[in-house]
Amino acid sequence: METAVETFGLTKSYGNTNALDGLNAKVKQGEILVLLGPNGSGKTTLLHLLSTVLRPTRGTATVMGYDIVKQPLKVRETIGISFQEPRGFWRHKPYHILSFHAGIYGLKGEAKDKIVEKTLKDFDLWPSRNKKFMELSGGQGKRLEVAKLFVYRPAVAVFDEPTAMVDLEGKRMIWDRIRELREAGSTVIVATNEVREAEYLADRISIMKLGKEVVTEDLRTLKDSIRGGDVVEVQFSASTSPQLVRALEEVPGTVRVVPDSEKSLKVFVNRSEDWLPQMMTSLQPLQTKVTSIRVTEPSLDDVFLHYTGDELVKQINA
Amino acid sequence: MREMLSLFAFDLRETFDSVPWTVYFWLFFAFQYFVYGQLISSLVNPAVMTNYYFYYGTGILIIMTFNVSTWAGRRFVEGAHEGRLRYLLSLPFTRGELFLEQVLLGLAVNLIRIGPPLVLMLWLAKMPPIMLATSVAVLLAMSFGIMGIMISLSFIAFKSFDIFSAIVASTSAILIRFSTVLYPLALMPSAYGTVARFNPLTYGSDLLRDALNFNISSLLNPNLAAFVVAAVASRR
Repeated sequence: METAVETFGLTKSYGNTNALDGLNAKVKQGEILVLLGPNGSGKTTLLHLLSTVLRPTRGTATVMGYDIVKQPLKVRETIGISFQEPRGFWRHKPYHILSFHAGIYGLKGEAKDKIVEKTLKDFDLWPSRNKKFMELSGGQGKRLEVAKLFVYRPAVAVFDEPTAMVDLEGKRMIWDRIRELREAGSTVIVATNEVREAEYLADRISIMKLGKEVVTEDLRTLKDSIRGGDVVEVQFSASTSPQLVRALEEVPGTVRVVPDSEKSLKVFVNRSEDWLPQMMTSLQPLQTKVTSIRVTEPSLDDVFLHYTGDELVKQINA
Repeated sequence: MREMLSLFAFDLRETFDSVPWTVYFWLFFAFQYFVYGQLISSLVNPAVMTNYYFYYGTGILIIMTFNVSTWAGRRFVEGAHEGRLRYLLSLPFTRGELFLEQVLLGLAVNLIRIGPPLVLMLWLAKMPPIMLATSVAVLLAMSFGIMGIMISLSFIAFKSFDIFSAIVASTSAILIRFSTVLYPLALMPSAYGTVARFNPLTYGSDLLRDALNFNISSLLNPNLAAFVVAAVASRR
């Protein structure tokens, strides 16, 4: 898969603070990459640098091969950004805002009118099309901000917290639209704090902390990367014994065995799908009957906290 | 260029929507010219200066031009705070085109807000249409220069709208009072006049009055005034 976006030591400093600190990252063409990180981790700064709203202090990046420092105009023609806060054009109406945006990217006449109407309807904004922006609710404003990228489908679409302020129904709608955008060929980068959003959208997740990329992997690999992240609750027909606990501790992949009740044990393992068959084999000589097995995978919350938690604890303590 | 013109049309639509501001400008002129202008000109001895009423009216137009032009810088700072600017910076046009659009918008707003009072004033004074054309050209050139300065100032005070407002308020207080906008150079105390000679608004005001065939004896050299106005306008 070709690279759509690549950063080379990308740095943005404000005084002595590095909002983004020498980032080297790649986004593959046609994927949805979700940037996940606590506040101040550099997600928004990265999106602003990629869309040339900000200039990097050091380093650079390419968007579909165009350099953000040397070819900013080409980059702006290629990338579209939906900002975090829907603000700016207080007196304009949704119809005019989308129509202007479509016009800027070359749509004209009837084709423009049609796509603007369709987008307003898709985002449930058609009844409010002639209200002033300042009269829209927070959720409507946010939907309009997101909708801008759907009137012309940029090659690279970046969304900064696309569903903040949006109700549950609206969130689902926006997520589905973003996935449609990817299916239509766009590369999508989403910055979010919302773990569920990342889980729903991401082909790959990049966890950021203090302006740096901590890890970038697909969800499965991230979950598997947590040592002892899978929890297997094994229920036996008879009471558990020290011999049984020892046997489970010796199964490759076991991290910890904890008594759960008289007849059950809780085992923290790596990659439960590999661990389970080995566990069954190991228990055969003991002639212990397993009556039920329940596997719980780590959630993305667990993954997120695993990679960023110490920082959050520091922030809370501070 | 096409993108820049689209933005210009989009911004202009927003400006047309702010009818109260435009009406405020016209009412400001009407009150200043027809009420306060009449009162203050009756205090001036006609033997010392003929037609101070018209002189005062042109001064009000210059003050309005100055105020509308500072709006361009204020709009820039507001845009940064409200999120409009970052959106514009993400659109496919160059920074130069964006600044040019902002200045063109300022000129258009100037025309909308100052054009009708100017036409009314010249019509009441029975001035020929050619004078309207030349005075509009002078006012727009002044406005162009002031907007350039105000947009530059907006970068100094980008992070605080309060700082920008304070800078503009103090700058306008000094520039307007220490100039020939409201008082002719010939009648000023010499110390006051010395300061006024270094003020670009003096040259803008004098050039406008020269374009309106005002008594040249109360003015600076119009060629010098034209030079100063051109220099300020080209400073964008």
